[in-house]
Amino acid sequence: MQDVMWLVRHTLKKTFSNKKNILLYFGTPLIGIIISLLVYSGSNEKNVHIGIVNNDPHYITNDTIHFIKGLEHLSVTNIKESEIDDQITSGKLDCVLVFHPGFSKSVQQGRPDHLQIVSIHGSEITGFIKSYLYHYINNISALGKIANGDERTFLQMYERYQQSPFRTSVHSLKDTSKNIGMTYQTIGYLLMIMLFSAGNLAEMIVKEKENRTYFRLLSAPINGKRYVLSNIIVNMIVMTGQIILTLVIMDRVFHIKTNIAFWQMAVVLMLFSLVAIGIAFITVAFANSSASAGAMQNLIVVPSCMLSGCFWPADIMPTFVQKIANFLPQRWTLDALLKLQQGHSFGSLYLNLLIILAFALIFFLISAYKFGRNNNVNNFV
Amino acid sequence: MNILEIKNVTKKFGDFIAVDNMSLTVAEGEIFGFLGTNGAGKSTTINMISGLLRANSGEIKILGKDIHKHSRFAKKNIGIVPQDIAIYEDLTTYENVKFFAGLYGLRGTQLHKQVEEALEFVGLSDKHKSYPKSFSGGMKRRLNIACAIAHRPKLIIMDEPTVGIDPQSRNYILNSVKKLNEMGCTIIYTSHYMEEVEEICSRIAIIDHGKIIAEGTKEQLKAIITNTKDVWIEIKPMETIDLNKIEAVSGVKAVQMEENLMKVSSDVSVNNLNDIIQCLINDKVEIRSLKEQSPNLETVFLTLTGRSLRDH
Repeated sequence: MQDVMWLVRHTLKKTFSNKKNILLYFGTPLIGIIISLLVYSGSNEKNVHIGIVNNDPHYITNDTIHFIKGLEHLSVTNIKESEIDDQITSGKLDCVLVFHPGFSKSVQQGRPDHLQIVSIHGSEITGFIKSYLYHYINNISALGKIANGDERTFLQMYERYQQSPFRTSVHSLKDTSKNIGMTYQTIGYLLMIMLFSAGNLAEMIVKEKENRTYFRLLSAPINGKRYVLSNIIVNMIVMTGQIILTLVIMDRVFHIKTNIAFWQMAVVLMLFSLVAIGIAFITVAFANSSASAGAMQNLIVVPSCMLSGCFWPADIMPTFVQKIANFLPQRWTLDALLKLQQGHSFGSLYLNLLIILAFALIFFLISAYKFGRNNNVNNFV
Repeated sequence: MNILEIKNVTKKFGDFIAVDNMSLTVAEGEIFGFLGTNGAGKSTTINMISGLLRANSGEIKILGKDIHKHSRFAKKNIGIVPQDIAIYEDLTTYENVKFFAGLYGLRGTQLHKQVEEALEFVGLSDKHKSYPKSFSGGMKRRLNIACAIAHRPKLIIMDEPTVGIDPQSRNYILNSVKKLNEMGCTIIYTSHYMEEVEEICSRIAIIDHGKIIAEGTKEQLKAIITNTKDVWIEIKPMETIDLNKIEAVSGVKAVQMEENLMKVSSDVSVNNLNDIIQCLINDKVEIRSLKEQSPNLETVFLTLTGRSLRDH
């Protein structure tokens, strides 16, 4: 084992003596976090700017305006009727509510009228206002209908309604969909980076063959299997570093709550790292040169990541594409993480984990078979 | 004691027989020359000796131990100087030698000492912090050798170690080979340069189509192909010579005259040069120059394989 560790030390030293590689292997996974932050950075909460023209000075109109001012995410400005067009067209206001003379009387009579909404945004804005405003006005007009024209009765009911003893308490529910989306995006990107990293590191085997150092290595008391084992260990060390760094920075620096225990996420991703090494070894086993190995990696990694939903949720893709994705290990890895986010226990994900392991095993077997058939020293192990 | 024994070894690649029932021994302390054209089976044999390839049949022993049953022992006792320079361009000279020596289990001060010694031996100790990318071809070749000898192997296999380098570096390497041999190392040396092999090798094997077709000392190999030696004598133009007198000299087989150049072919075992010269002096013939041409390795190789070594 000492000779394997000697090789591991050598490969790590050789790789990271070039400072660019530190950035390549440990900087690029963080780009995924930054991309997801950019994608999800825009707040979903938007303030709607409303102008009010009150041409019906009455306590019902005033209270209605007061109600509107009390709504969240609305900024209300009183304007003159002559300013409506300018304010709307310049975009300073999203819509204007015009209370025409007779509004309060129509509400009191149970037939709300004389209210106009001016907007150029259409239902995107007016729908939100209408839902709150109509609900309030309908309540008042219902009182008017019951009062049946008796102003005193209406006033009594109206005052009681305004001072109603029941109160609505509001509790904000945290929107976890944003964190789930960011986690998905970041991990999807991390999977792609892991695949490329494994590819780069395994490609060193082909490069050793090309510069003939592989010949000298194998003439020393070390065999091909131990040499490949050292490459697997280097791969695992680098990818473990990538996983830990990404998860820690996601949590500690960017405060993205994954809703998954750190160890569970790390275990799933470590299993995937075996898959990444397996795929990398297949490309190395079939490639004749480092250039062809690189080309094969690009050909495998990018499309498979796209199909399996590393860059966007798999649900938005057509059904037949989703079916293809079922044959890709990235899909099962992301699915395992999604299930963990949805509250599934780790134990219940045994099928996902077994499938990921099976992928890794198949890839290793194919590459081992191909390596074994390379009898020519110039070609391989 | 034999350091290397190859017994009835055959290696096939599909239907192609690269090495065909080869048997060979190399004794400790020899510089053994291995000659063959490209594709003759030389590299395949070297790859099998160094454990990179497995023979289909036969056995190879290093210091009496089978190289597959005692792979570690065998590899520790062998140092390979590959034909293609096999070093890391992005590691320093010292790091290169240290890494390869470390693969043989050397660590700590012993590793450092042996690396320094190897670098000193090849004359690169003042370059131990330099990167090979800045080296000349000769320096890279020397580093290539240092990487093979730092673990102090008993058998060093050098595959074309002087290809493409300047005469100065070539001399340095040839002297290094002799020095390593004096230090007790056995060397297996392959080269396309016959004069190198003639100069340094104590015994030579010629391989062709996977078979050893001749093996022995330089003299033994030359004796295989011919029992005749030629003497070229340049005489003054217009001189008349009685060729019968020369033909009558003991051991002379034939005499040919081309203008003022006379070729006398004699039995290789008879030393008759003085008698031939005396015969010419007696006839008052003026000798301008004289050259004895005995068969060299190139002639031997050409005769045995039908091909010139450097043409392939």
